[in-house]
Amino acid sequence: MRCAPRGERVARRRPIIQPTDENGVTLQLENVTKRFDDFTAVSNLSLRVRAGRIFGLLGPNGAGKTTTIRMIVGIIAPDEGTVSLFGQPVGEMTRERTGYLPEERGLYKKMKVGEQLRFFGELKNLHPRRADEVIDRWLDKVKLSDWKNKRAGEMSKGMQQKIQFIVAVLHDPDLIILDEPFSGLDPVSTELLKGIVLELKAAGKTIIFSTHQMGVAEDICDDICLINRSRKLLEGSLREVKQSFGRNAVALRAEDAGEVLEDRRLVARVVPRGDFEEVLLADGADSQELLRRLVEHGVNVSKFERVEPSLHDIFIAKVGEDG
Amino acid sequence: MRKTLAVIKREYVEGVRGKAFIISTLLAPVFMAVLLVVPGLLFTLKTGGATRIAVVDQTGRLYAHVRESLMQGGDKDARATESAPVAGRMETSQQQQMEAAAALQTHFEIEQAPVGGSLAEIKKSLNERVLREELDAYLILPADILERGEAEFYARNTGDVFTSGMLESRISRAVIEQRMRDENIDQRRVAELSRQVRMETARVTKGGEERDSGGSGFFLAVGVGSFILIAILMYGQVILSAVVEEKTTRIVEVLFSSVRAFPLMVGKLVGVSLVALTQFAVWALMLLAVTLYGAGAAAMWGSEISLPTIPLLNFVYAILFFMLGFYVYATIYAVIGAIVTTEKEASQIIVTVSFLPVIGIYLAFPVIRSPNSDFSFWVSMIPLFSPITMLVRIVTETPPFWQIALSLAIGFATVVLMVWIAARIYRVGMLMYGKRATIPEIWRWVRQA
Repeated sequence: MRCAPRGERVARRRPIIQPTDENGVTLQLENVTKRFDDFTAVSNLSLRVRAGRIFGLLGPNGAGKTTTIRMIVGIIAPDEGTVSLFGQPVGEMTRERTGYLPEERGLYKKMKVGEQLRFFGELKNLHPRRADEVIDRWLDKVKLSDWKNKRAGEMSKGMQQKIQFIVAVLHDPDLIILDEPFSGLDPVSTELLKGIVLELKAAGKTIIFSTHQMGVAEDICDDICLINRSRKLLEGSLREVKQSFGRNAVALRAEDAGEVLEDRRLVARVVPRGDFEEVLLADGADSQELLRRLVEHGVNVSKFERVEPSLHDIFIAKVGEDG
Repeated sequence: MRKTLAVIKREYVEGVRGKAFIISTLLAPVFMAVLLVVPGLLFTLKTGGATRIAVVDQTGRLYAHVRESLMQGGDKDARATESAPVAGRMETSQQQQMEAAAALQTHFEIEQAPVGGSLAEIKKSLNERVLREELDAYLILPADILERGEAEFYARNTGDVFTSGMLESRISRAVIEQRMRDENIDQRRVAELSRQVRMETARVTKGGEERDSGGSGFFLAVGVGSFILIAILMYGQVILSAVVEEKTTRIVEVLFSSVRAFPLMVGKLVGVSLVALTQFAVWALMLLAVTLYGAGAAAMWGSEISLPTIPLLNFVYAILFFMLGFYVYATIYAVIGAIVTTEKEASQIIVTVSFLPVIGIYLAFPVIRSPNSDFSFWVSMIPLFSPITMLVRIVTETPPFWQIALSLAIGFATVVLMVWIAARIYRVGMLMYGKRATIPEIWRWVRQA
């Protein structure tokens, strides 16, 4: 049997819908609200996820991330607002083109890994004749080929997690939703899966990535949306978000810079950090101005670097503000 | 549809391939056979040597006959005069079998006790011999036994009801024969004259007269009822765990992102019921093989076998109503599975539910006496009982077709409704795991979802 090259589209009997609407948007949420009894899980949320990007859905525990995702995959329906995928309302069609790795994970313990993947593939309309080849390729990719005929219950948790990852991607979906995909994985496996996620992006897939591990999000997300207490706090590309965060800081290692740093028109605060100091500039001050003044004063500068706020800082600042 | 098939396939393959299934399929018939045969064998099994009995014959002329009767065995036991009601038939024949078997196993050593001296002295010396274990028991046939019909039995072990029962019936026989001889009555003539009447039962229907042995239809109905009960006792738990499985393993979230709750629930029910049907089919084949073998063996020994004649249509109805009954109860289990979060939580409710088919079987008795009463009509429309009660009505006085169809339709609608309810509860319930739902909550889930 000939192995189909990667990226070749599966011949489907149904009409092929474009992976996006006409504006290049894969997923759009408009004024979506979901309540459980008195509790509002998601409140008036609007989102746009562009095709071929990795979108980070960030927020603390209980912010409403999972509820949002469940509405996207069609497990629950919003009380108000609309969710559209590929320019269509959520339904049977969009389900098949979406892959989902939930945070609460599970496999049939007594079922063999290969059969299990085949079953989940069938539920997503993966053609049985193609299934074997696809399953083998994925198992090989995550280095679990030897486990194909073993029961899932015999695997370690990390291994099971990789299998669940395969469940989310094996039917070649256009939108992949990963809820905390790396939690509990060792660094090697994390890097492996991260690499696969980036490959998927390169293959033109849209990925929604939900986490509260900011480090991981910073590594791979193109766009982010931060939600807290059921509401959106900020949204945009990682770059825009960092720029708009409006923190102006410089990592400085210098000898005898004291005098310059005491100028309150220029420097707001100095935070000692390991072998350097983080200099937070005053409002309206410019880092170039600081550098010039340091040179003028004959200060010996061994490190001068503009630092962007980390996602971690933004997260803490924004969520902290929000209370 | 394809997804439902995938769910059915998974449930079926996993079910049939499981160790539990294979073991129970093979071992259950063995177990049943053991349960049926062993108690009978154990009761009839008399370990140790022959039972030594001394006979004190105060009539002076009965000893030889009694001895002959005791040694002869049980084939002539006076049973023919008993009238056996239809339902009791099986029991009687079982009793006879057991006694016959007991007779084979019991040997007597009979001796005549000396009659000289007073009764008290004789008894004293016999009591001593019994206690010294030279004897196991002794019988006293009083001088007036022919008139009063009373004998006395003394033994170390009076708990052996089989032996004492057998002694009683054989002494009776000897005494009866003696009385007849005294009156110059020909015993063969008596046997001939006390032949019983056999009633041929025929059912008057629109199609004419149908000859069947009235009871067989009733046994069919009660048999189906018992079968539903057994099937539910065996598979209710399986259905429940199939439904709870994805909840406890949290697979449900992936499933629901691929398939809606209703097809999922249908797939599970059908898958598990196919497993059940497979098992029953294997057993039915085993039973058929044994029956054919038994019938063949019996034919070889020259005995006449009469298989019950049941009209084909009734068989079709029996299968239809069995399926209905199975699914009605199976869906109840599915709903329970949808509500609870773990199997343990369900155990109390289960006991109550498995009681319901028993009620259906009890209801069969009033229904068989007046199959066309209002009461019978209504209980044969309630899906919990209709699989048994409607079947009883069909085999007794077949009701108009519209009633059968209505009963089936109500049952079928109930099954669909229950699956729908189970699916709704399941879908909403899975999102709020960790606690058991209250009744008002469940009701809200069913409405909103």
